[in-house]
Amino acid sequence: MSWDHLQLKPQIISAVQRAQLKSVREVLCVSGPDLQKMTGLSRSDVQELLHAAATASRTHQPVTALQLQRGECHRLESGLRLGTGCPVLDQLLRGGLPVGGVTELSGESGAGKTQLGLQLCLSVQYPVEHRGLSSGALYICTEDPFPIKRLQQLISEQSVLRSDVPRSLISGLQFSDHIYIEHTADLDSLQVCLLRRAPLLLARGLVRIIVIDSVAALFRCEFQPDDWLERNKQLLTFSSMLHNLSQEFTTPILCINQVTDVFNQSANSLSSSSSSVCPALGLAWANQVMVRLMMRRLQGKVFLGDQSSALRRLEVVFAPHLARNSQDIGVWREGLRAVLDRD
Amino acid sequence: ASISQQEALEALQAARAGEGAASVTALELLQKEEGFRSIVTFSSQLDDALGGGIPVGKVSEICGAPGVGKTQLCLQLAVDVQVPQCFGGLGGQVIFVDTEGSFQLQRVTDLAGAAVRHCSLLAEDEEQRVAMTTFSVETILSNIFLVRCHDYVELLAELHLLPDFLRGRPKLRLLVIDSVAFPFLRLHDDLSQRTRLLQGLGLQLIATATGHNIAVVITNHMSTRLRGGQSQLVPALGDIWGHAASIRLLLRWEESRRLASIVKSPGHMDATVQYQITCEGFRDADQSEQLQRKKP
Repeated sequence: MSWDHLQLKPQIISAVQRAQLKSVREVLCVSGPDLQKMTGLSRSDVQELLHAAATASRTHQPVTALQLQRGECHRLESGLRLGTGCPVLDQLLRGGLPVGGVTELSGESGAGKTQLGLQLCLSVQYPVEHRGLSSGALYICTEDPFPIKRLQQLISEQSVLRSDVPRSLISGLQFSDHIYIEHTADLDSLQVCLLRRAPLLLARGLVRIIVIDSVAALFRCEFQPDDWLERNKQLLTFSSMLHNLSQEFTTPILCINQVTDVFNQSANSLSSSSSSVCPALGLAWANQVMVRLMMRRLQGKVFLGDQSSALRRLEVVFAPHLARNSQDIGVWREGLRAVLDRD
Repeated sequence: ASISQQEALEALQAARAGEGAASVTALELLQKEEGFRSIVTFSSQLDDALGGGIPVGKVSEICGAPGVGKTQLCLQLAVDVQVPQCFGGLGGQVIFVDTEGSFQLQRVTDLAGAAVRHCSLLAEDEEQRVAMTTFSVETILSNIFLVRCHDYVELLAELHLLPDFLRGRPKLRLLVIDSVAFPFLRLHDDLSQRTRLLQGLGLQLIATATGHNIAVVITNHMSTRLRGGQSQLVPALGDIWGHAASIRLLLRWEESRRLASIVKSPGHMDATVQYQITCEGFRDADQSEQLQRKKP
């Protein structure tokens, strides 16, 4: 670490080097009095050092919310959202998935979570004026093999789903070319994928959404109940990686999660839900998620043209900018679509 | 809240020295002064339980499970600190340190718009009407300074630079850190370093609150703690961190109701009120669902 560019007095720099402090981060992680002890510098010199170190590690100056609104700081707030492909669902989400943050989608098997994941891999490829991000998708499968046939069906039916987009634009998009599929069977290979492959794809602008289907699979089978502390540490490390990627590349990350049964309803002060299931991986994971969505399969069928579908409901459990709300949906040949009038 | 004898004497002297027929009683002066010592939450029940609102010059902590409303309350306070003085607010600015990415402009704009509408309806006299000309969604947004910190080192760096930032801004009355837990919980491989850093952070926050006379509001996650085979829900970051704040607000669910409890000492809940989150922000629960009880 070259301390010279911090513009400090030579005596401070040599004291820092003698104390074997290697970076500004190290300096900031030591308290004032401890720094004095380590370097032998006076209190005011230590304050100068901390001030210089803090200025060097700051990524941006404070900005006002008005500057954000005026679009003056794209890194912090671009105002972008990734649409789902269905305008009614986008309304539920006030535009779509936020581009900086982890969105979780949990639900029972067969609820339709993978369907939404696939649909987002297609909607991301549309230009920004059609609520996409003009880029591809990275889809990471951790349990079941990637549903390639279903993807192909969705691709062939895009003009039916996206009647708002000119056909010429849709036929010009080579959807399958821009979906990168990975299969990771365990936590280690998932981490390798997130640390190596994902940043490459993101940095080259090839990908602007990551879907992990599902997170629960990796953490549930690898750890015994006694390893609960160890599991939480791994969850935090994993979630750190996701957040770093999401922030650095302003990319939405969708984590598909399973659900577990809730045994003791009355003691549950963690959520308002009276349902018998809750998202897997517990409180430690829940604290890492910015937007929590749930998909449920309901009784009854809905009809659209010649198609029928089991009724589902997409629910907003929590999000800093969304009201608790839900929308009935059906799963059709062309994808997920909101159901407005029910038979 | 209470004032010292010196301040009471000064208030009485000011009252006596006042000219004109419209004299002010010491009580009124006292109430006016107290108004500048807290930031309302817009939930009158919670404000009453807190003795006016979130106190200026102190560190307050908001704990709760994800989704219960911690960020919502922080955003509400960021708007409420700006309410003009003639409406009983502080007319102040706020610096919002966001470590989770949960500061969403859409939501802040909702809350700002609702606060402007609320005050517009209340405006009675000329002073209030004039104040409304500079209390708009735009000015509210211009008085919120946002900093995003991606890890605990960036957070510590921001706090080192805070005195400089405050020096040029006498109107700054509120510092929000949402959340302290998120970056520090990642530091799980060296717990003794985490404890030392948190202790230092706590002292720094208290010094900032008292030295610059601002309200410091921090949010914390909940953790599960195993005690003799039983699992308990406790505020994260450990017991030592618990001493940093002078007031702890515990937000939780009870079936479909949201409750806020004021916890001044471990195991002792002063008061519990029910609240709700509407499209306009943090508010009292509907009258029909009122639940208010005091625990001994």
